[in-house]
Amino acid sequence: MFLDVTGRDDASTNSGDHRGAQQPLIVAKNMTVGYKLHRERKLLTALRDITLTVNRGEFVCLLGPSGCGKTTFINAISGIVLPWEGTIEVDGAPVTGPGPDRAMVFQDYALMPWRTVESNIRMPFEFQKLGMSKQQIDERVERYLDLVELKGFEKSYPYELSGGMRQRVGIARALATEPTILLADEPFAAIDAMTREAMQSELERFVTKTRQTVVFITHSIDEAITLGDRIVVISRRPGRIKEVLDVNLPRPRFDQDVKSLPAYSELRERIWSLVKDEALSGAHGEE
Amino acid sequence: MELGKGRSSVRGAWGRIVADTETNTPTDPKSFEDKDRIRTAGFSVGGLWDQYGSHVVTVVNLICFFILWEVFARSGVVNKVFFPTASGMFGTLWEGLTRSAPPDAIISGQIIDHLLYTLRTLSIGVTLACLLGVPAGLLMGGNRYVEKILSPYVWGMASLPRIALVPLFILFMGFTVKMQITIVTLSALFPIVINAWAGVKTTEKSLIAAAKVFGASRTNIYVHVVLPYTLPFIIAGIQQGIGRGMVAVIIAEIFGGSNGLGFLITRAADTFNSELMYAVLLLLVIISLSFIKITRMIEIYIAPWRQQVVM
Ligand SMILES: Nc1ncnc2c1ncn2[C@@H]1O[C@H](COP(=O)(O)OP(=O)(O)OP(=O)(O)O)[C@@H](O)[C@H]1O
Ligand SMILES: [Mg+2]
Repeated sequence: MFLDVTGRDDASTNSGDHRGAQQPLIVAKNMTVGYKLHRERKLLTALRDITLTVNRGEFVCLLGPSGCGKTTFINAISGIVLPWEGTIEVDGAPVTGPGPDRAMVFQDYALMPWRTVESNIRMPFEFQKLGMSKQQIDERVERYLDLVELKGFEKSYPYELSGGMRQRVGIARALATEPTILLADEPFAAIDAMTREAMQSELERFVTKTRQTVVFITHSIDEAITLGDRIVVISRRPGRIKEVLDVNLPRPRFDQDVKSLPAYSELRERIWSLVKDEALSGAHGEE
Repeated sequence: MELGKGRSSVRGAWGRIVADTETNTPTDPKSFEDKDRIRTAGFSVGGLWDQYGSHVVTVVNLICFFILWEVFARSGVVNKVFFPTASGMFGTLWEGLTRSAPPDAIISGQIIDHLLYTLRTLSIGVTLACLLGVPAGLLMGGNRYVEKILSPYVWGMASLPRIALVPLFILFMGFTVKMQITIVTLSALFPIVINAWAGVKTTEKSLIAAAKVFGASRTNIYVHVVLPYTLPFIIAGIQQGIGRGMVAVIIAEIFGGSNGLGFLITRAADTFNSELMYAVLLLLVIISLSFIKITRMIEIYIAPWRQQVVM
């Protein structure tokens, strides 16, 4: 059985060159987000004055020092935190909470340990009212189990799987509802180098086929360059957008040896100096 | 079809990762046969030892212990009034558990009757403690105001030695079953409350975040994340509660009343019946260990993912 990726909404509405189409999907305007610290009775600004547009079908990587607010950014897109100031809109409507059009892959997998692989992938269908019949859901779950090659592990529990397999469950769970936007919070950070490369390659292939919109957090400059259409470098806390860089490298990048291209090393140098600046500049942004 | 083709190659490469993680894929049929033979050979000796070895060690260990006990008791170094023979103790225990009381017995009722009485008090008390403690703990974990209001009492009661309350309850209720059950309930209650509370409070934030992202309502989060996460904590609490309840019921029976294993211990002491005394103590050890074993098994059955953390 083939996975019929043409059946996906965002793929069909995005035929043609996605970079030419330029259809804004996520629009953040002067967004400031933070947290209430209950214990110290004060407010902590995590992101300040963020203005960014992510287009439909685009793969955007967020890069920045630890604690700069990358997770906060995708939490704001997912709707589990709301902006203090400014606005964030998805598909023309302000974000007021989580929705089935956005799904997330977590750094620590965040799989329910008491649910089997299959049941974990099924979970979003239980919580979200998608208007799908039981049979349609079964089909979906099976299709995405198959996509991440976990057939035969349906009845396994997460603790019985390797790290790479667990994250494939996380990816299948996020993709199964066929969300418009895939949010990924360092999904491959805890996975060994070889498996990571294979999974990056798979993700790139999947994304180029489906024109999935992705916002992807990473600590790795190489991962950002090999996966992203654009790279957003964020400064120390409170995070601001320091620079947005286009990645003009041919795709699919994993099949070709893009790392040997001069454009690759040039971009790498550039980002490295930006990130290094941030790492060395010290805590100038403390409130 | 172009996309279909892409899809199959996608699948192929994910498959490569699977092949990496699966170690038991036979590549060469001959080497596979060899491995199989070794495994079969291992099963006949090493396999059996792996399965039953620790039990054998335990049984041999215990037999040696009781033989040494028997020899020591028979040597007459210690007066038999204080230290009976192991065989005498087992004999009394066996008789007390299997035969009905002779009409001329000093103590009315056999060990079995007192055992059942104690177990009944204990189970009623622990059940009440669960019915009160689990909801209380869950509420305290889930609601900041309930937590604020209840936590000083919970910590206060938890740190007060419940034994100190026994005279008070005897004053209130006399030497009744009600008094015994109250003491058992109070003793078992706090470990249950505190564990359930801790379970809710320590529910992994990333699991809650994941549920939220995938559309869980507040109720969904409670039912599908917090409760399953807390269940092993609740079981651990009940396990502790049974232990505390056991201590409480024996103490309550020693203080007063004319039934139960605690009462039997005092009567055995009063009548210088050391065999009976030791038989009851042994029985208490066996009961406690069985409870621990049973709750462990329930824990492993309900929360197999925690097995790795525990062992
Ligand atoms: N739930 C929370 N409550 C209070 N403060 C928080 C919370 N989550 C994050 N923060 C704070 O907000 C800031 C940004 O956090 P965030 O998790 O977005 O960083 P990050 O860029 O994802 O870092 P990392 O790369 O280490 O994951 C940090 O200073 C952090 O301490
Ligand atoms: Mg983060």
